[in-house]
Amino acid sequence: MPIIPINGKKVHVQELNKGAAETVVMVHGMFSNLSVYYFNIAPLLALRFHVVLYDLKSHGMSERTRDGYDLDSMSDDLRALMDALGLEKVHLVGYSFGALISLKAALRFPGRIDRLIMIEGPDPADDKTRGIMDEYSREFLEHYIRNFTDATKVQMGKRQLERNHRMYEYLFYQTTIKQDMLAEKDFFSSDAIAGLEHHPLLIYGSRSNCLRAGYFLKERIPGAELEEIEGDHNVPVQAPEAVAGVLLHFLTEAVPVMEPDGNVF
Amino acid sequence: MDTVTTTPDQPAAAAIFDQLKQMITEVIGEEFAEEMDIRPTSSFTKDLEMDSIEIVAFSEKVKAHFGTRIDFTGWLSGMDLDQLIRLNLNDIINYIQECR
Repeated sequence: MPIIPINGKKVHVQELNKGAAETVVMVHGMFSNLSVYYFNIAPLLALRFHVVLYDLKSHGMSERTRDGYDLDSMSDDLRALMDALGLEKVHLVGYSFGALISLKAALRFPGRIDRLIMIEGPDPADDKTRGIMDEYSREFLEHYIRNFTDATKVQMGKRQLERNHRMYEYLFYQTTIKQDMLAEKDFFSSDAIAGLEHHPLLIYGSRSNCLRAGYFLKERIPGAELEEIEGDHNVPVQAPEAVAGVLLHFLTEAVPVMEPDGNVF
Repeated sequence: MDTVTTTPDQPAAAAIFDQLKQMITEVIGEEFAEEMDIRPTSSFTKDLEMDSIEIVAFSEKVKAHFGTRIDFTGWLSGMDLDQLIRLNLNDIINYIQECR
């Protein structure tokens, strides 16, 4: 497997269609890994773009790390990955926690990010979003698997349950991820977001409990577009073709120009 | 003289199966693989309990071994999730043979 050192840690990276002129970097969510894109969405984008997927620290096949889950550190890793791959400017797609990392990256190094897409970015100030971290237990995970397998189509066996349980246990009890996320609770209300210059595309599931965060961001970020796709927070898994279609349309359309009066044409 | 009647594809299919079985063992680990009865009809998610990141690792091994002439990721991307979940070793053996 392609593993490269990023900020002193081993990171699992997958690249599709390396020869393409433009690159799309895709960032997955918490407790997930690059496979959320690998099978359906990334190959469709790769028909046109160089696509880079990577596992966040302690996720998938990347090395475990005890700390550094705050958005500054996570976006530092993203920039270091771009540097390691020689990518000066990329389109950025992030899902859930990955959407927060992507937004942070666009705010911190805007010149390195071309077009920005956030899928199902949750508001870190939302207690329900953060509460899931406190509620976690094996019972919770088993309940989740019983009740959400229809939505996610994930059918976990005993070995998988054990593997996932170990990952949650590690992330929750042996890393700083909980404290790091709590420290980000004011992210969406920060002044910087209102000054974002990327006119991002926001994609949310029409039945998602994060949809309100989408409306909030659309109001706060100049020129943001919101696209709702039938589904819930798992929309990239539930409707990968629809998500890929919206991504491709947005990435290949003419870049909007912000007029001095704030209107977007 | 006794002869065993085989279709020409059978030895190749058996060799591919052995190769795929070896790759699965590498991905999920020998201790788990030993407990499992890996057969051509084994499905990845239900029978072998492979999760998606393990299937990514397996896909990369298939691509590395069988070369660029098979577009394994492209083939998988044409499937919906139900098809991916039902995917078994025979499907992959057939696909690899079709590409030869």
